[in-house]
Amino acid sequence: MATTKVPEVRDIMRIERIGAHSHIRGLGLDDALEPRQVSQGMVGQLASRRAAGVILEMIKDGQIAGRAVLIAGQPGTGKTAIAMGIAQSLGSDTPFTALAGSEIFSLEMSKTEALSQAFRKAIGVRIKEETEIIEGEVVEIQIDRPATGTGAKVGKLTLKTTEMETIYDLGNKMIESLSKEKVQAGDVITIDKATGKISKLGRSFTRARDYDAMGAQTQFVQCPEGELQKRKEVVHTVSLHEIDVINSRTQGFLALFSGDTGEIKSEVREQINAKVCEWREEGKAEIIPGVLFIDEVHMLDMECFSFLNRALESDLSPVLIMATNRGITRIRGTNYQSPHGIPIDLLDRLLIIATSPYTEKETRQILKIRCEEEDVELSEEAHTVLTRIGMETSLRYAIQLISTAGLVCRKRKGTEVQVDDIKRVYSLFLDEARSSQYMKEYQDSFLFNETQTASMDTS
Amino acid sequence: MAVQSWSGTLKSSRKTALLQDGKRKIHYLFTDGQEMVEEYDLETDELIVRKWRQKSKIGGQGQWQVEVGEQLASPVPSLDSSMIKENCSNPVFTRKDTKSSFQWRVRNLPYPKDVFVVSAEPSERCIIIKTTNKKYYKKFSIPDLERSQLPYDGSALGFTHANNTLIVSYKKPKEILTLEQELLKELKKLKATGEGDVDCKTQ
Repeated sequence: MATTKVPEVRDIMRIERIGAHSHIRGLGLDDALEPRQVSQGMVGQLASRRAAGVILEMIKDGQIAGRAVLIAGQPGTGKTAIAMGIAQSLGSDTPFTALAGSEIFSLEMSKTEALSQAFRKAIGVRIKEETEIIEGEVVEIQIDRPATGTGAKVGKLTLKTTEMETIYDLGNKMIESLSKEKVQAGDVITIDKATGKISKLGRSFTRARDYDAMGAQTQFVQCPEGELQKRKEVVHTVSLHEIDVINSRTQGFLALFSGDTGEIKSEVREQINAKVCEWREEGKAEIIPGVLFIDEVHMLDMECFSFLNRALESDLSPVLIMATNRGITRIRGTNYQSPHGIPIDLLDRLLIIATSPYTEKETRQILKIRCEEEDVELSEEAHTVLTRIGMETSLRYAIQLISTAGLVCRKRKGTEVQVDDIKRVYSLFLDEARSSQYMKEYQDSFLFNETQTASMDTS
Repeated sequence: MAVQSWSGTLKSSRKTALLQDGKRKIHYLFTDGQEMVEEYDLETDELIVRKWRQKSKIGGQGQWQVEVGEQLASPVPSLDSSMIKENCSNPVFTRKDTKSSFQWRVRNLPYPKDVFVVSAEPSERCIIIKTTNKKYYKKFSIPDLERSQLPYDGSALGFTHANNTLIVSYKKPKEILTLEQELLKELKKLKATGEGDVDCKTQ
């Protein structure tokens, strides 16, 4: 037999892209809600984190549905980070919807419709439904990769119970999740037929061997009896918006896939509210008020604010968290000035959390965390230089420099980012202050300068 | 009795009939929102298809659940083709009635006849097909008996095996036979619309 070496095909799991707040895993509080200086990716901002923790506990108890919180502070002081931290610590079961203030301005939908949809996306309904599941012991799992190395994989899975055996054809997605769960012959698994969710129940007793090496958490279970496919009641969470879409007759449930849901009639919403309340009274469903986060809330205009005033009074309303970096400014859509660009009557309903600028020590910590997140090694001096840059320009600019400096360092085949790398990217990329300076110096040589004399109004 | 209550439900449902492709197609809409479709052969009056549909709990349109006849393969490869489905070599279970008995066919069962054990379980109200080589197992109830709340009778049950197909039949009890005849008479009285697309009033 010819022994040609087959190149090992590695399955590449989904690599998560590194987002600006990917390092945040929670609010970093202890059980007494006291903030730790550095924890779960959060640094400093002790007072505001503690305040957010109190809010979080109230959300968990279901107490402040229909109330609103405003996180206010200068740019780059961790407003979005705190909101993300709240989302992370709420867990996946509580609906969390995030949007930016300008997202609601669309030609296809009115502003208030977009806001109501966002509101209803943030309210979950936990409901029991019957689904079909497959439960059995894996006899054989066979996955064939095409010889060329590209194209769709095909697979077969043989499952059995004590009474019967069935062969299943596997699709691509299924193969992926089977290999992710590391399912092998002898495992007892269940597959939700509708969603394709796989859960491992344990190893079959018949496969137990004396000298098998296995983890302490491996459980042995009996091979299931009877038929492979069963109907079972499962609990799942849907948002009110999803129920709206399914029931809005003109669109049908296909609208969920195309994403184009259009406007939903208020009668439909009222009917659904009534239905859901009925379910709740009968104990068939449970309502979970989630969190709606509106970033850059000063971008909303007067109409939206008055809509919010009313929407917050409805009994089916989520917790609203808003963030803004504006001081006293014009309310959009009016000529009035107001703190944070929000009318006073709405401000009156809000709990306001303020964030303050980071100290040098905190900046240093954050840069360190980001370096770990982006997998860049920083020498001690480079770290100090970067912290200085962060203090003098902005934290965001310093964070931008991490990955660029990392690249420069890799190009010269270094393993650790040195001061020279930082200097190089510092000279390559301008920060906001230097860029403005440059503009002032060379204003005359830019295009269209000859007709325009006054500086542009950028508000 | 229970037979009456089911025939009463049938009578109170809104019905639309349609003659098409040599079949009499009837659509029923029940008061609880369930829908049922039946198709009869025009010449032999045999039931070819009976299927049910119900709104899902949160309001979406459910899938058709086939009770009698074959499940139609969907014309477009469905969305979940990337998921999991039975291999085509697996046994296929369908129900196809005759005038005098309920009948089920299980195709793709290439085992000798003495492997199969078919039994009625009156206490659990179901019929169980077992195989001694542990390759196939099926537990099913007869919806017609359930609806009329008639007892299961082991002596009415029989099975044969030929051409890789297991055929299980169960003699229809008297009550069912009379009910079906009455229903058929009733259906023939329904004014049926002819060929082509029709507005289904009950849908």
